[in-house]
Amino acid sequence: MAVEKPFDITTTTLESAINWARSNSMWPMPFGVACCAIEMMAALMSKYDASRFGSEVLKFSPRQSDLLIVSGRISLKMMPVLMRIWEQMPEPKWCISMGACASSGGVFDTYALIQGIDQFLPVDAYIPGCPPRPEAFIEALMVVQEKAREGKASTQAYTEKAQQV
Amino acid sequence: MGNALIVFDPTTGPPIAQRVQAQFEGRLLRGYQEGLQQGFDVTAEVAPSLLAFLRNDLGCTCLVDLTAVDYAKYPEAQPARFGVIYILLCPETGARVKVRAFVADSAPRLATAVPLFAGADWAEREVFDFFGIVFEGHPNLKRILLPDGYRDHPLRKGYPLRGKGERADFEVYRAFTG
Repeated sequence: MAVEKPFDITTTTLESAINWARSNSMWPMPFGVACCAIEMMAALMSKYDASRFGSEVLKFSPRQSDLLIVSGRISLKMMPVLMRIWEQMPEPKWCISMGACASSGGVFDTYALIQGIDQFLPVDAYIPGCPPRPEAFIEALMVVQEKAREGKASTQAYTEKAQQV
Repeated sequence: MGNALIVFDPTTGPPIAQRVQAQFEGRLLRGYQEGLQQGFDVTAEVAPSLLAFLRNDLGCTCLVDLTAVDYAKYPEAQPARFGVIYILLCPETGARVKVRAFVADSAPRLATAVPLFAGADWAEREVFDFFGIVFEGHPNLKRILLPDGYRDHPLRKGYPLRGKGERADFEVYRAFTG
């Protein structure tokens, strides 16, 4: 007689269990520097309620966060600060580039602005829009959750490049 | 005084224009009334003494704003290329005074207003940052908004919108995209 598997036990690997836990407890580090931050706040507050996805713990401390949300335009002078914040976040970590300015410079094709933070940071999800709706933010959050569940992050290429510098 | 709203009436208010005209006879480029605000155009040499007179003798103790304009492509001819604009407020009467100091194009220089108005400190740094006007005697005249290594003054007319290669030449860029 074969040994029957009890119904209340599921077998899995430890890694996928950890990834599942991570994906459902994203702690965002909000880097809100412009109007996109207003939509980000709306997405995190009660109406759109990012805490449904386990992301309610906003930490304005990069050392306790694993999801950087860059919402707004980044100037040449701000970029080193942003990179320092990114470096302070413990791995594994993810990054959302929210809105046209963070992703491409937007309409601000000027002397002072970074034309897309992905020149410096590994971005996992881009949100189009000027500014994007909170629904778009939630979709990006779900994209990052999916990556976390699969154990993926865009940090690998970045780390190699940063070590060369 | 209390908390009553004071509306400056040029007919009954303090005779700022007359006092300034009398004190600076022949040294003003122009004096004019703009709404309820009185304006005086002066050269860079006269500006410090006019500001001191307005503050110490006429009670304009509040520096509301300090900024600059580049008149290089202005349709009407101006006395000099740069105009540094001080907007003063007299808290006693609510009178507002605009002083415009014209600064020449080559090596623009102007005496600092920080000893008179402590609030001029960062505003003068900003004008220096974007227009390259040097405020002599300023306690800490360095860039305030742009990165320290920036070489030009981008609010001058003729400066290209996309810069002169600063975006590609900035040190963070060099490290990561070079």
